[in-house]
Amino acid sequence: MSTLSQVSINKITADLLPKKFGKPGIIWTTVLVMLSIGGLIGYFRQLQSGLSVTGMRDYASWGIYISNFVFFVAISLVGSLITAIFRLTNVSWRTPLTRISEIIAVSAIIFAGLIIIIDMGRPERFTNLFLHGRLQSPIIWDVIVITTYLALSLLFLYFPLLPDLPIMIKHSRAGSVNQKIYKFIGSFWKGTAEQFRISESAVKIISIMIIPVALAIHTVTSWLFATTYRPGWDSTNFGAYFVSGAFLVGSGGVVVAMYVFRKAYSLQEYITEKHFNYMGKIVVMLALLYLYFNINEYLVPAFKMKKAEEHHLMSLFTGEFSYLFWSAILVGMIIPIVVLLFPSGRKPLPMFVMGVCVVVGAWFKRFLIVTPTLLSPFLPISNSPESYAHYHPTWEEWAITVGTLAGALLIITVFVRLFPIIPIHETIEEQSKAHKL
Amino acid sequence: MRSLRILSIASVWWLFLLFMDVSAQDAEKVTLRLDLTYHRQENGQLPMLRTSTMTKVGKRFEPVHDVEINIFFNEETSKGFLGRIKTSDKGTAFLTIPNEFTYELDSSAALKFIATVTDNEKFEDVSSEIEIAKAQIELTLNEEDSIRIMKAKVLLFEEGSWKPAPETEIKFVVKRLLSDLNAGEEELYTTDELGEASSEFKLNIPGNANGDVIIAAKIDESDVYGSISSSKAVKWGTPLMSDNSFAKRTLWSTRDKTPWWLLIFPNLIIASVWGVILYLIYQIIEIRKIGKTHKNL
Repeated sequence: MSTLSQVSINKITADLLPKKFGKPGIIWTTVLVMLSIGGLIGYFRQLQSGLSVTGMRDYASWGIYISNFVFFVAISLVGSLITAIFRLTNVSWRTPLTRISEIIAVSAIIFAGLIIIIDMGRPERFTNLFLHGRLQSPIIWDVIVITTYLALSLLFLYFPLLPDLPIMIKHSRAGSVNQKIYKFIGSFWKGTAEQFRISESAVKIISIMIIPVALAIHTVTSWLFATTYRPGWDSTNFGAYFVSGAFLVGSGGVVVAMYVFRKAYSLQEYITEKHFNYMGKIVVMLALLYLYFNINEYLVPAFKMKKAEEHHLMSLFTGEFSYLFWSAILVGMIIPIVVLLFPSGRKPLPMFVMGVCVVVGAWFKRFLIVTPTLLSPFLPISNSPESYAHYHPTWEEWAITVGTLAGALLIITVFVRLFPIIPIHETIEEQSKAHKL
Repeated sequence: MRSLRILSIASVWWLFLLFMDVSAQDAEKVTLRLDLTYHRQENGQLPMLRTSTMTKVGKRFEPVHDVEINIFFNEETSKGFLGRIKTSDKGTAFLTIPNEFTYELDSSAALKFIATVTDNEKFEDVSSEIEIAKAQIELTLNEEDSIRIMKAKVLLFEEGSWKPAPETEIKFVVKRLLSDLNAGEEELYTTDELGEASSEFKLNIPGNANGDVIIAAKIDESDVYGSISSSKAVKWGTPLMSDNSFAKRTLWSTRDKTPWWLLIFPNLIIASVWGVILYLIYQIIEIRKIGKTHKNL
């Protein structure tokens, strides 16, 4: 650290310390709080009247809640990609992106767990999942693996945060709530060699462990579908298909967050065009990979066009969901691939736009995986009201779903208000090394 | 004042339109299709009448529910009134003939039933009539030298006694859970001059725990006899062994019967991963201890 001048160190610290919200920050937070309250009102209505307030019926028993769950699980995978895989492969430019990806992972996985409880008709029986869960059921595997991933992600966020906490304590107002929080979680960090050794060893262990757990979380989520014999889900490819899609949406999410934090906190010196360029190349690669799996998942069954699967496939290609399906493929994969293949497309603003496209496309893609299949059962829908053959989410469902998305963003927003989104200590260390060379 | 006049004229015009609309609705009664059929499950049982109501919507007929139908025996009078039934969502309604008509049913050779829909708000008056020649089937099931024979004799009630009914089409079936399974070698058999028809039973199918299956001979939707049948239970099925796999360690059993491999391997993985997580939490405690010691120094 000593190789950098104190002036440079002070500048880095001042640049990266969390800042009070300006006017846009206050508006942003207020909107998120309002949307979250809207979600709570919707959920209160659901608690009062049960799942009948939703558009889910006998056939479409999984709607936008489960689509949202799969989306959250998918986006949470980015924590393992940026932090763990990049760390283990010594990707030198990862530092400004690690904490962004970890907080996205933590907030997403928290809401993935919550949305499952929201989807339950009897949420007060939630504990039964643990008390009476059967290991034979993929649902219990998902419960176990989500809990494990949340624990590991929290540790992965916490250990690298420790060296920053003394800096935060030093620069926060004495006796303030913020300082109390910093002291509570990290006043014991003195930066001794032994503390660094333990911390670095712990981070290395988590980096190795979180990769299989992250792959497991999304593979198990895919098995919730693939272990069920239904058109569109009956695939041995589902694990890899889901994981590749998760890496794509996670990277898209990080790109969007990079742009927003860079702009909001003037971090141009730390999150540079180089970072966007590299992330752009990664997004292209992941989008191509996901497109490849999509071709496998849809083209092969479409070529065979088994009678029992025809209704499902045609509802996606030309029927009820075709507009959404082709939009998700085009906006979520093809357009980002085309734009990001060109160096000018990998500049911050186009990258941000493409990141938004990837994330929005991915949300609708999850919906297209979950619901159309349920509306195309092997035994044709009969002896039930016409409305059961379609799924239209109610305002309560939309309010709750938007509320959970806002809630996840609120966690990230509050975290950024309290903690540096780019690791201060690690950045100083890195720049010292570069200075030495 | 002028606006009041306009309002009055508009109100009168609106009332006129409303009246026209109501009148038009009164005039536009829809034609209803009413079907009546006769069913008797077993000899000696009271017969049942089935009605169905349909109406034409576009190019196809659709069932009509909540239509009240009056059913009469022999004549459309209060004396012959059997009862009033209302159609279900599927447009059907059933009536079992009341006990008080047993004597008349037993003594008559020909049975006449009338169904009527009258004074309905939406539909025009309609009636349907069937005439049934009273018949019954005698079913005998024999096994000789491992050959199983189903024999049915159709008898017609004429001039106070039961007489053979030749040239009548019957079916041999096995009763299954959802529908009847053809038990004969052919779909239909025609009775001879003695009113008899027979077929060999060659099916190898599961029965109940004792191996019992229910075999029936039946006349289906005949214009002359209606739908009548006669059935008997016989040990011609394979005894059904109950599936007790729920008591074993299977993927579909209860949690206390989880297969061993599914208990051991996932739990080993869970224990290993959570062991490491606990170790990492312990490392935080270690870091904390070092920090406190450092402070004391």
